[in-house]
Amino acid sequence: MVNFTVHNCGLTVGTIEILGVSAASMFQIGDSDYVTLYSMFDTPPESVIAGPIAPLPVPEGEADAVGEAPMAG
Amino acid sequence: MIQQNYPIRLTQIGLVSVVDCSIGAIIQFGDRAEGTPKLNALAVQRAIDHTKAGSVYFESYEIFNRPLPKLIDPVADAGEDVSIRRFNHCPRINVGCIYVTAVGSTASLLAGNAMRTTAESRIKHIRQYEKTLINVT
Repeated sequence: MVNFTVHNCGLTVGTIEILGVSAASMFQIGDSDYVTLYSMFDTPPESVIAGPIAPLPVPEGEADAVGEAPMAG
Repeated sequence: MIQQNYPIRLTQIGLVSVVDCSIGAIIQFGDRAEGTPKLNALAVQRAIDHTKAGSVYFESYEIFNRPLPKLIDPVADAGEDVSIRRFNHCPRINVGCIYVTAVGSTASLLAGNAMRTTAESRIKHIRQYEKTLINVT
């Protein structure tokens, strides 16, 4: 058995700015006993390109790159 | 096992600004005993118009039937793993301003106390092309 003791002293916060709270997330100002959050997200790999591939040139110094697969070919 | 020490804490907020609250999201000012928001969503990107492309069905995708992961821990089930004691020396949480752009997908913004929250969101993102990429025979 773990004995966990919490002392909540004064808590004052100025400003909170949040862009988004999403997909079974929680933003709480207060106290909670139990929180269980499940999120499942399945998306196609972003590497799927259905259209023509943009004709990007080989990056500079590509031949000297260490540990990367060669871009050309 | 949780031992709550009284008084419980109050939340004081000067200003809350929320632009968007959508798809099963909760914004609550006050205390909550139990909350169990659930969301099943199919996010469809289509090459053709929705009126011509027909319906999509949750039953087609395994993610909506998949069981939730379960913690197998008899010690925790018996409530003998952690004993929490809380002492609220100051009965108040003060926050000046809160600016939130969006709350969505069973997310919750809660100013107050909660006993138990169990949120669940399942989102399947699919793309449907006008022509199939592989030959279906």
